[in-house]
Amino acid sequence: MAMKGRFPIRRTLQYLSQGDVVFKGSVKVMTVNYNSAGERSEGARRFVFFNIPQIQYKNPWVQIMLFRNMTPSPFLRFYLDSGEQVLVDVEDKTNKEINEHIKKILGKSKEMLEREERERKKLSHPATFGPKKYHLRECMCEIEGQVPCPAFVPLPKEMRGKYKAALKNE
Amino acid sequence: MSVPRGAVHAKWIVGKVIGTKMQKTAKVRVTRLVLDPYLLKFFNKRKTYFAHDPLQQCVVGDIVLLKALPERRSKHVKHELAEIVFKVGNVIDPITGKPCAGTRFLENLSDSENLTEADTSYLSEKLQELKVCSTDK
Repeated sequence: MAMKGRFPIRRTLQYLSQGDVVFKGSVKVMTVNYNSAGERSEGARRFVFFNIPQIQYKNPWVQIMLFRNMTPSPFLRFYLDSGEQVLVDVEDKTNKEINEHIKKILGKSKEMLEREERERKKLSHPATFGPKKYHLRECMCEIEGQVPCPAFVPLPKEMRGKYKAALKNE
Repeated sequence: MSVPRGAVHAKWIVGKVIGTKMQKTAKVRVTRLVLDPYLLKFFNKRKTYFAHDPLQQCVVGDIVLLKALPERRSKHVKHELAEIVFKVGNVIDPITGKPCAGTRFLENLSDSENLTEADTSYLSEKLQELKVCSTDK
């Protein structure tokens, strides 16, 4: 894909997956109000430009809405499942500070993420064979050092079923 | 089935009211950011929901928060109006609580009219302490 635009690195899967804010299950909607001009809103603008794609990539089920030039002060608002609303004032904050702040208040902690990762790994056993969707490898013939796939290299006579049957008949 | 609330996946959504011509129902447009698989860029994808608004207090252009109903009210109405986040023409800044329009406040923010005698004397004392004397040079 051509790297067009101002910061095309934002449009790479590696950048998107580097986002570390994973919201807790109770966060449903995130609303960002910011202004297009003004120094106080600079951090919020950078946050929207750089960090929102990462957050949305990691949280595909959270609705994110952006509002521009509605109020003089920039802020973030989260709507949780319990009906609670969290208002975060981001005036005069850099985008890194905003990111750290929401990771601390509404993000899953590192231990939780590691635990979930381990749970996911437990479900799939790496030593089994089967369809690519559920297993790592499909057949023993894929592994180096094992008998190659008969579709590419014919098996030696002794291993073929018809030879073994002919021997038994004799 | 143990579905405590919502016959629908979206429990809480925020959207903009686009129509109020139905009785006690508001048509709300909700936008979500969806990743384009080739460009790897997020674009707004719109979807309209119908929300039950018993007091008919929504005007076209309001930003509203909808809550999913426990069971469907009618064929299309599965949400109800929880609160109006921003009323069109009457936006209140949640940080200060004052009405505003665009990037400026509508009313004067300074509170000098509400100062009492004690406040003014205290402030003038503080100002005296802060006065910089140029006798050092």
